[in-house]
Amino acid sequence: MSPNLLLPEASAAQLLRRRVLGAAGTLLLVGTYLFLVITQPTGIVEGLGQGVALATFAAYLIAAVLLLLAVLPDLPVSALTLIPVALALNIILGQFVGSVMVPLYLDSIGTVLVGFLAGRRAGAATGVLSTLIWSLFAPTVLPFAAGAALVGFLAGTAARYGALRRPYLAPIAGLVAGVLVGVVSSPVAAFVYGGTSGVGTGAVVAAFRSMGDSLLSAVTKQALISDPGDKAIVFLIAALLVFALPKRLSGSFEFIRRYKVLGKSGNK
Amino acid sequence: MKRRITQLHPFTVLCLAVFTVAVATAASVWWLSCAVIVMCLAIGAVAGKARKLAALSGAIMLPTLLSLLMIHGLASRDSSPVIAAWGPISLTRGGAEVAMMLALRTAVLVVVGLLCGLLIDKHQLVAAIDLSPAPPQAGYLLASTLFLLPQMMEKQHAIGEAQALRKAGTGRGLAGWLQRLRLRAVPLVLSSVQDAHDRSVHLAARGFPARGEHSRLRQVADSQIQRGVRWVALLCSVLVPAAILVPFGGAA
Repeated sequence: MSPNLLLPEASAAQLLRRRVLGAAGTLLLVGTYLFLVITQPTGIVEGLGQGVALATFAAYLIAAVLLLLAVLPDLPVSALTLIPVALALNIILGQFVGSVMVPLYLDSIGTVLVGFLAGRRAGAATGVLSTLIWSLFAPTVLPFAAGAALVGFLAGTAARYGALRRPYLAPIAGLVAGVLVGVVSSPVAAFVYGGTSGVGTGAVVAAFRSMGDSLLSAVTKQALISDPGDKAIVFLIAALLVFALPKRLSGSFEFIRRYKVLGKSGNK
Repeated sequence: MKRRITQLHPFTVLCLAVFTVAVATAASVWWLSCAVIVMCLAIGAVAGKARKLAALSGAIMLPTLLSLLMIHGLASRDSSPVIAAWGPISLTRGGAEVAMMLALRTAVLVVVGLLCGLLIDKHQLVAAIDLSPAPPQAGYLLASTLFLLPQMMEKQHAIGEAQALRKAGTGRGLAGWLQRLRLRAVPLVLSSVQDAHDRSVHLAARGFPARGEHSRLRQVADSQIQRGVRWVALLCSVLVPAAILVPFGGAA
């Protein structure tokens, strides 16, 4: 899709504002994560605990919103119309998987699909928006917005560097993304909620805790067991869906054409 | 009373929710958390949504409570008295208290958040975002998702029925489930991406996103008092928790 010819281009001040917002969001996210991992605050219920929970919640959420505000005005219309479809797919396919008691989430297929088709900025925006909208039905997902943004960002990055040129590369990229997402999201689970919200994942965390691990360590190990497998499957399914799209449709995304995401044959 | 609650500006409801969650989390006292939950249920009852609020909250909080009991109650390393024991597994009093406090903290967020979701009219929220300084894309994305979701649910249901009619995807076990997932997901994604592509052409032709002032069919009722309440609530969401948590003047 070519950029709109009727509207004025963004001014230098607007571009600078978006860059500042993006940098502030990234710094806030990285700073909070490093602070939590280095200091590992104890006493999650009393004293400092409430402050850590509130600060972690606020910092992760504000960072996600800043990144969204930085990215949103830059997205082409083709990506903007794809994002609502992806958000609905996250919810519908997530519910379909959840209804059959399969121990997977698969609730980020839409986010990864947007990352593959429209790039990492669109993927990150989809992740944040998906969490914000889903929080209207399940408020506990709100501080995981930054993790969801990372899923979309990593999907776009993987596609840009050739993860869709060979079908077996997509699940490998998913595995790597799962490790990173698990590591980034575990401080939220540990310090905001004091653990996980699922019975199965709670049992795994309890097992690690009884072996002498700290809460953050136990939650991180649980995330490293669950997330890489889940993301590998999600990346594979999303890649197969992209391969199933008619070339006329996949080729209409500038990101696909520019970075030869599907290899030479996919860009004709 | 019901009309007054549902006619509040969506941002006013959200700011009050932020304030309530921030203060209840910072205070972390069981009676305040319980009072907030009871108050939310009362507001829900006035708005005629109490049953739905209780059901949705229970569905989220029950697995969370069980999970927290396992993590802090069963795997607790404190030396408090044992409440119950099942072979090598035991539930300590200290561990159960920690789990209950964390569950109450989460319950406040869940109940307040769900009450917001039930009280706020989605159309009003979209209109309020459009009228705010947020990028115009944000309102479009929220509106589009909320209106696409039921449509795509219906489409997915129709695809499932059509596949069942031609007796496709009737296998059992994991292979059958994967086949059903493929038979539903592929047509749904292909048709939805095609629709999105068609929509993008029309939107681009109409000069989306529109910049500058433009008229809106739906107006969101707002007032000077509500604007004041929003600012005070946001300010207090930072100041009150800071006053509770930061030890001033040697209080530590």
